[in-house]
Amino acid sequence: MTETVLETDGLTKRFGKLTAVDDVSLSVADGEFRSVIGPNGAGKTTTFNLITGALSPSAGVVRFKGEDITDVAPHERVGRGLGRSFQITNVFGGLTVRENVRLAAQSVHSDDINPGEALFRDKNGFDEIAEQTGTVLEQIGLQDRADEHAEALAYGDQRRLELGLVLATDPDLVMLDEPTAGMSSEETQATMNLIDEVLSDRSLMLIEHDIDLVMRVSDRITVLTRGEELASGTPDEIANNEDVRDAYLGGVRE
Amino acid sequence: MVAADFIEQLLNGLTLGMVYVLLAAGLSVIFGVMDVINFSHGELFALGAYFSLSIIAPFGAGTGFWIAIVVAPVAVGLIGAAIERTTVRPLYGRDPLYHILLTFGLVLVINDGIRLIWGTQQRQLAVPEYLSRPVSILGVQVSVYNYFMIVFAALLAVVTWYLLNRTKYGMIIRAGSQDREMVRNVGIDIDQYYTLVFGVGAALAAVAGIVLGGYQNVNTGMGNSVIIPAFVVVVLGGLGSFRGAVFGGLLVGVVQTLMRAYNGSVVATVGDVTLSVPNLEGLTVYLLMIAVLLVKPQGLFGTRGEESESEGEILVGGYGGVLADSTRVRLGGIAVVALALAPLAILFMGDQYYLVVLNEILIWAIFALSLDIVMGYAGLVPLGHTMFYGVGAYTAALVMLHYSQSVFVVLLGAILICAVLAWIVGSLSIRVSGVYFAMITLAFAELLYSAVFKFDFTGGSDGLLGFEAFLGFGTIGASLSNIEFGLLGYELGQQFVFYYLALLIAVLSLLFARRMMNAPFGSVLQSIRESEERAEFIGYDVNRYKRRAFVISGGMAGLAGGLLAVSPSTVIISPDQTLNWIHSGEVIVIALFGGMGTLYGPMIGSGVFFGAEEFLSSYTDQWRLIIGTMFILFVLFVPRGIVSIPSLVAQRLETANNADGPVDMDEPEVRSDD
Repeated sequence: MTETVLETDGLTKRFGKLTAVDDVSLSVADGEFRSVIGPNGAGKTTTFNLITGALSPSAGVVRFKGEDITDVAPHERVGRGLGRSFQITNVFGGLTVRENVRLAAQSVHSDDINPGEALFRDKNGFDEIAEQTGTVLEQIGLQDRADEHAEALAYGDQRRLELGLVLATDPDLVMLDEPTAGMSSEETQATMNLIDEVLSDRSLMLIEHDIDLVMRVSDRITVLTRGEELASGTPDEIANNEDVRDAYLGGVRE
Repeated sequence: MVAADFIEQLLNGLTLGMVYVLLAAGLSVIFGVMDVINFSHGELFALGAYFSLSIIAPFGAGTGFWIAIVVAPVAVGLIGAAIERTTVRPLYGRDPLYHILLTFGLVLVINDGIRLIWGTQQRQLAVPEYLSRPVSILGVQVSVYNYFMIVFAALLAVVTWYLLNRTKYGMIIRAGSQDREMVRNVGIDIDQYYTLVFGVGAALAAVAGIVLGGYQNVNTGMGNSVIIPAFVVVVLGGLGSFRGAVFGGLLVGVVQTLMRAYNGSVVATVGDVTLSVPNLEGLTVYLLMIAVLLVKPQGLFGTRGEESESEGEILVGGYGGVLADSTRVRLGGIAVVALALAPLAILFMGDQYYLVVLNEILIWAIFALSLDIVMGYAGLVPLGHTMFYGVGAYTAALVMLHYSQSVFVVLLGAILICAVLAWIVGSLSIRVSGVYFAMITLAFAELLYSAVFKFDFTGGSDGLLGFEAFLGFGTIGASLSNIEFGLLGYELGQQFVFYYLALLIAVLSLLFARRMMNAPFGSVLQSIRESEERAEFIGYDVNRYKRRAFVISGGMAGLAGGLLAVSPSTVIISPDQTLNWIHSGEVIVIALFGGMGTLYGPMIGSGVFFGAEEFLSSYTDQWRLIIGTMFILFVLFVPRGIVSIPSLVAQRLETANNADGPVDMDEPEVRSDD
């Protein structure tokens, strides 16, 4: 049995009378590619936000690498190795591609920078950060466009940069919120290849509604409906699960 | 008769409160529906009173007053509608900051227009004789006019409430103030209603101006004196909430009046302990406002969540300029050399007054630069930045009076005290964002402004005087006023010495800020400006970075204030000269005028602002009107500031050559890394 990287215990989020996430207990093993699927309003994004810290739960616990992080601030979770991407591309549009990646790399090293350096030393004069920036740029294939402004990139390239930002923070677990939203099938394929290529040595948690995609790439899948966990298992198990077929797949998949 | 006295004061409070209700209702609904922070609301209020003066004059008080109270608000309403159509409308979708700048320009224009037409003398607005008579009810004696004001304003408030709650138009406007996007989505063109809302808001303000004008008097400062309390009311009640405006207005009116009436008086004596009302007149409402903002940022009756705020982009004098990096550095060098030689030119011309102007420009250049660090780089818009300028000046003066005259000690003291103040204010206010942050810093600044009037050690309303700076440490050096030496037969005095000191500090400040923005700390600030959420999720403690930027900015503003106190042209440090909210507005105007997010832009802005002021004021008394008009044109057509003009021109030429149609004004940008 491999180690558990992420665990939620009785995770619940209520907005007034609506219970968006209801007693969800997940456990993601180290190195696993986990996907969370479910129809609209199933609580996928809320679950995602509870794990990254964008929302705080009404009840329940989030454990990351064995530590309780329920009350840990989002930026601190990133520092501990919990990275995330955004559904709507969220990069620093007015800064160069290189600066985008460099900022993410700098965040990992900010403990090594003393206050004097932080205020006065040239941001490009830190060898480790520069090196990591270069590596990530190469991995996401944007080294030739490194000096362009992020907002000048095509949509697909912005998504790549988005992944690059996550990658540069050197996470143990990466939370991906619909990374292929709005992409053509070629772009989707390219992005999934990229994820496979650059993030394969990390644990992944993918929030997605494209079932075919999820079936293809995941180690395990969790299905949510109305905020509750309906089933968890391998793609095969999920595909053959009666409840899931009734509730979500609606008999479309034979 | 203690009870009767109390009721009398309560009535006075309600009377004033009603004026605030009328003012705040418009202000609040305008903000709620359009996200416009309308600083010119106070001037529209004044305009109502001035129109009435002119209307009453030919008819006499008896009938004229009643004609005025109908006609003047309609006239002001029409002006308000025209203002919305021509100036506010093009700015929807931009950051509320631009409305501040625009309406600040309108304040200058309208106020100067009033001076031009009606003069600066205080006037009395004639009310019918039967209204001004005192009347005694149950031993409580106040003027009939008090009752008239309360009843009339209450009537108007009820009518407004009815229109908002019981008519179709009102429903749409209220829905718009809850969630504009949703209203659009259900197929209603909410934009059509903006002119109406702005016009009615202006008309209500005008009514308030007339009734208050009849109660007190009519003067050119009346708009200025009510606008900040009106903002307090709006924030207390909740931005966009009509109920909140009514409640907040009455609360502020009553609290202000009671605190003034019972200021320091003894409430009860229990044994040896004397309980008295604390001497907090003027401070109470701001303390109240800060408390409410900290506990319930959306105000007492506010329903809008912070997340529903759709803030447009702040247009910085960004990147992609037409000048190469090396050209910029060379231009900067040339500018410094030119500034270093300027005094010699002034010497030959023989008019040392220009040196005084240059000194003011340098001080404000540092002040504007300090603002740019938080506004142009960290995306925080403080409406109370002058608190640091003022506290820096006061600290410097106090250090000189009581501790040391050494310029270095004095300036260091100003920087440190302001940095500490910024840390305290920042810790409390950075957790609220956007407009709420702007408002809470405004409240802190007003709190300090009111506080310096209270204390003996700050010299009350007179301010501090009798201090002098000493250039050096201990006994080595010379007092600024003793410095006089000859060069080529010309006499050089303290103004020269101070000029070079200020120039040196200004250049060092710019280099410091530039260095910081190219270092890890500054790079994170820029990422926060680009996307706060993203910065958080690559692992940065956004609030901590903002707070630190605020501390650095506060320290630098304190340095500017300290320099003001050290300056040989400064004889007195007074509350109005340093802590009045107008200066917070001015420094934002200067930073935007020059070009935010460029460091050197705001410094250029300072030069152009004070240069234009000097130049214009030597030709005309209406220079504020011209400068105000300039701001309005700038915010409409050159939102990225003076520094964006080269690329704007370049783009124009290019477009003209390509015959590609009109240029989008928002496009041109210049490099930020210089």
